[in-house]
Amino acid sequence: MATQQKLLTRNPRADMLVDLLELFSGLFLVGFLWTHMFFVGVIYFGANIFDRFSIFLDKYYLSYIGIAAVILVFLTHLVVAGRRIPNRYREQKIVWRHARMIGHTDTWIWVFQTITGMAILILGSIHVWAVTSGWPIRAMISAGRMTHFLWFYALLLIISEYHAGFGLYRQFVKWGWFNRHSVGAVLKTISVIIVLIGVGIMWVLLRLGGAR
Amino acid sequence: MANRQLTFSIFRYNPHTPEIKPRMQEYRLEELPGMTMFVALNKIREEQDPTLMFDFVCRAAICGSCAMLINGKPRLACKTLAKDLPARITMFPLPVFKLIGDLSVDTGTWFRHMSLKTEAWVHSNKQFDPAKPEDRMDNETALKIYEAERCIECGCCIAGCATANIREDFLGAAGINRIARFMVDPRDERTGEQYFEIMGTEEGAFGCVGLMACDDNCPMQLPLQMQLAFVRRKMAAVGWKYKPQAV
Repeated sequence: MATQQKLLTRNPRADMLVDLLELFSGLFLVGFLWTHMFFVGVIYFGANIFDRFSIFLDKYYLSYIGIAAVILVFLTHLVVAGRRIPNRYREQKIVWRHARMIGHTDTWIWVFQTITGMAILILGSIHVWAVTSGWPIRAMISAGRMTHFLWFYALLLIISEYHAGFGLYRQFVKWGWFNRHSVGAVLKTISVIIVLIGVGIMWVLLRLGGAR
Repeated sequence: MANRQLTFSIFRYNPHTPEIKPRMQEYRLEELPGMTMFVALNKIREEQDPTLMFDFVCRAAICGSCAMLINGKPRLACKTLAKDLPARITMFPLPVFKLIGDLSVDTGTWFRHMSLKTEAWVHSNKQFDPAKPEDRMDNETALKIYEAERCIECGCCIAGCATANIREDFLGAAGINRIARFMVDPRDERTGEQYFEIMGTEEGAFGCVGLMACDDNCPMQLPLQMQLAFVRRKMAAVGWKYKPQAV
């Protein structure tokens, strides 16, 4: 339909640029999530080293720059990846009916991708607020959070790794550099390892909190 | 061993009689050796219900007419064996396409629109000389073109695609595969920018979410994931440098 509005507002490259923005913001967030896990994983070496690492990051303003950048990219990703979510009632009905009918694993994975995305928006925001309002990041403060909000963090860990792992998988599928079944297997393994590291971190923090 | 009794639950609706609401109707049939859904539907129509509408022409997975949702999955009726299915079988017409009645849909209008939109013909300014021998093409290129041309336009990839189900203008795997066919054809003189105008949008390569129901359900086992990725990469490479003229 070539209405005058469509003709005048047409930008042939817009769809591509938005798609690339989705890709790169997603890659950044996956990179952040995995780095974040290794940073928090410093707790394995003890509360003291964890605190010193945190002080080091603060000293060079790395944590402030990092958090601001992540929030910015997070919001960008929300807008550009969120455009894929069927947001009308009728579209929602079609997608759920379609997913149930066709019984196709990848279609279901995507349905949950949209749900986990929305969940991360809420839970991630709460997490960022909790951390920044309880500044600075110290092992005992984190241990206190973990003791009080264990299930919240367990849920956030699983859904964010799910979203990151399958989001990355989806990009590999779309750009097609590798066979998707082997990519899927590799990414599932990585995600499970990251979740296990996360569970280990939670356990260490819980013990730390309990020993207080 | 006695043959299985199959129960078919088939979607019934005729747009010409809207007063009769859409409904599921059940038929029972004895399974025969080597029975396909095509055979089963013909038996039902001949022996039980002459009003049942469905399409078929070739009964050999060449014409693409008999695509339908069999137990929810887009399949060719002529290529789907009863022995691979449970005793209870549901049949729906393909979604996305216009319903003619019961299991019969009009894929032609959709595919014609796609062909026109993708300008699915060789664009060449060369003067045709009937006396001259044709230009040679290397075998590898010819095979690539042939691989994409194996598409029988059955519509299974479109029906299986969540994006095509919610967005009417999405050209889907069939459309993107079609463009891929011309991109590898050395006789087609279209530039990257010309392809980008058609495919570098949400209607084309960048509309794909990558769910791969097309790839998993293609009755011809076309390498649709790789075709979609090929066009996407090509469009990104062209689009990156593309300077469209201002209005």
